Amino acid sequence: MSSGTIALVGNPNSGKTTFFNALTGSNQYVGNWPGVTVEKKEGSFTYRGKEYHVVDLPGTYSLGAFSEDEIVARDYILTGNPDVIINVIDASNVERNLYLTTQLLEMGKRVVIALNMVDEAKRRDIEFDIQGLSKRLNLPVVPTIASKEKGIEDIIKVAIQVMEKKPPVKSPLKYNEVIEHHINHMEEVLKGENLPYPLRWTALKIIEGDREVIKKLNKSILNQKAINYIKDFFKYHSSGDFELEIIDARYAFAHSIVDGTINRPEEDVITITDKIDKIFTNKYLGVPIFAIIMLIVFQLTFALGQDTLGGVVAYLVEGLGSLIESFLLGINAPGWLIAFMIEGVINGVGTVIEFVPIITVLYLLLGFLEDSGYMARAAYVWDDLMRKLGLQGKAFISMIIGFGCNVPGIMSARTLDNKKDKMITILINPFMSCGAKLPIYSVFIAAFFPNHGGLILFSLYTFGIIVGLILAKIYSKTLFKGESSYFIMELPPYRIPTIKNVLRNMWDNVYGFIKRAGTTIFVVITLLWVLAVLPASAQPYGEFSILGRIGAFLAPIFKLAGFGTWQESVALFAGIPAKEAVIGTLGMLYASEYVEEGALLVNAIRQHFTSLTTLSYMAMTLLYTPCVATLGIIKKETNSYKWMIYMALSSFVIGWIVAVLIFQIGSLLGFS
Amino acid sequence: MLKEILRIINREGYISIVSIAKELNISGQLVEDGVKQLVRMCYILEEKTGEDCSTFCGNCPFAKNCSKEIVKTYNISDKGINFLKK
Repeated sequence: MSSGTIALVGNPNSGKTTFFNALTGSNQYVGNWPGVTVEKKEGSFTYRGKEYHVVDLPGTYSLGAFSEDEIVARDYILTGNPDVIINVIDASNVERNLYLTTQLLEMGKRVVIALNMVDEAKRRDIEFDIQGLSKRLNLPVVPTIASKEKGIEDIIKVAIQVMEKKPPVKSPLKYNEVIEHHINHMEEVLKGENLPYPLRWTALKIIEGDREVIKKLNKSILNQKAINYIKDFFKYHSSGDFELEIIDARYAFAHSIVDGTINRPEEDVITITDKIDKIFTNKYLGVPIFAIIMLIVFQLTFALGQDTLGGVVAYLVEGLGSLIESFLLGINAPGWLIAFMIEGVINGVGTVIEFVPIITVLYLLLGFLEDSGYMARAAYVWDDLMRKLGLQGKAFISMIIGFGCNVPGIMSARTLDNKKDKMITILINPFMSCGAKLPIYSVFIAAFFPNHGGLILFSLYTFGIIVGLILAKIYSKTLFKGESSYFIMELPPYRIPTIKNVLRNMWDNVYGFIKRAGTTIFVVITLLWVLAVLPASAQPYGEFSILGRIGAFLAPIFKLAGFGTWQESVALFAGIPAKEAVIGTLGMLYASEYVEEGALLVNAIRQHFTSLTTLSYMAMTLLYTPCVATLGIIKKETNSYKWMIYMALSSFVIGWIVAVLIFQIGSLLGFS
Repeated sequence: MLKEILRIINREGYISIVSIAKELNISGQLVEDGVKQLVRMCYILEEKTGEDCSTFCGNCPFAKNCSKEIVKTYNISDKGINFLKK
């Protein structure tokens, strides 16, 4: 028969489980707390011929009612009536752990403190005044090292003494006058009621606004007078501020206990994060540093993704094309099928797949920046600038997300309460260059600016941001006036990025890119291929095919921008379902034209464009009508077709104007 | 401690656990607890920058990116602002 029950209570990572194992050895059994999925661990030990029952309560930081673990631990302490509680405290984090201790004291239970892992704390040069701690808490404090079973016998001895002889200690924590006044009043009201919990604790919890306790009391326990008093109390007092005062008092109490009884070595006043942040988040240097970092990212993207790895995938795609062609010829497949597979699928979809390396490198580098904690700084340094433009700094976070895909970028504006901020964030996001546009830039850069790939790529992304910011300013002065709402960012310490996180980020993007190539792009290219080879009377891929006629109809729109051939016009419109289709379409249409010479798409581009028209075409691609998925999400988020149509048309006009300006001004300046 | 944390957050416009811990001369873990308490009591509201795609375009190839949270952001609630005015 058990001579008493000991409950173990402590924060997660306080070494409580090791303590439980040291206490009970192999005499353990595991079950579940009734009605919840929280594990119940029990055990026993024998001391001086008597057996004691041990209950290991779930690890928790507090004894509120905010998680199952807290409720289980709290209910057991209050209603399970353990004879003594051993509060296991991590000796390296005493102040934090004492928050739980203050709550135990308020419950009016017999408590013993196990100052656990003191060896670890000593290794960190933390010094303790155990007697001082004990005196201030009015509780026995026993140093232990559960992992080495040191101090276990001492604490058993003390716990049994407390269990057998000492009455529960009154909490030394006193609240401010107002709260104490309310507690006393509440105690008066509750006195005489058949409360399931200690009187003062119940009164305190009501003042604190603990809904679980109030609900339980209201159900059947209290008389109407007491219920009315509680209702009136909350009618005249906001419980929230009392709750804050009460919690703050507990923290202050914990601080007062450790002040002078625990000496920690002075930590480095200036951390590495401080040193880096002094430069990276500097008011004047922050944005230029961001620009330099992004320039390096794009330079590396191009150098590794295009120059080093780019040829490998292109070679594989071409090799695959040859294999498929040989196979189809070998089985006497119909001509149309061979044409579709080679000119449609390989030259169209395959061209898109060739850009997997560049996508891989870009998102590998961006993932590295995100996981290092730098992106939070980037958003922070942009915050000031964004505010000057009448926009909330959080819009920059949406813009960063938009670099991957505009859809989640726009969706992230959902959290903005302020309509002005939300609308502007949505309307400028499509100007952020998403990953799908990267293949388009890459092929044009390879054709005309192979030695300045990173710089051009950086300029395009920057130009998208600038256009977005200019529009944000215009919108905030015209369509969406008013104050921006305020928000706060968490700046985590810098850390070495984990390979797992960086690779996962990269894979999510690369997978998305490949999946789109195999689904949306395939469908678009198939459709365009059919239009390009029909009617049978027309030359396939010629200007008299259906696609050629559509292109010829559209081409005049782009004459002023310098790229008014039917192929280029059709490719731009093919990009509206999905941007990668621009390059897939050009791949299909040009490669068939140059197939006899075996020319690559890059060579075909060189014959159809000049460096100036390349710039205007890339600017148009960057800014013109977003893809269908983006338009769909604009409709969904604004709940309006009007804004969707506005976005589709206004971005097209903006893209067109910029492309025309580039071409016309460039021509006037003598660039070709 | 909570009041001080709230005031520092309001003053700085960002949450840096390290710098708050340094200013209040307490551990970073304690600051983290404090921020969690302020969030729980709705003095500051935690926002989600990432959005779960499960309710929309579940087949989107980039769905996993939607739930990515690049930066953790908060708002000081009206309750927090009123408290700071006191």
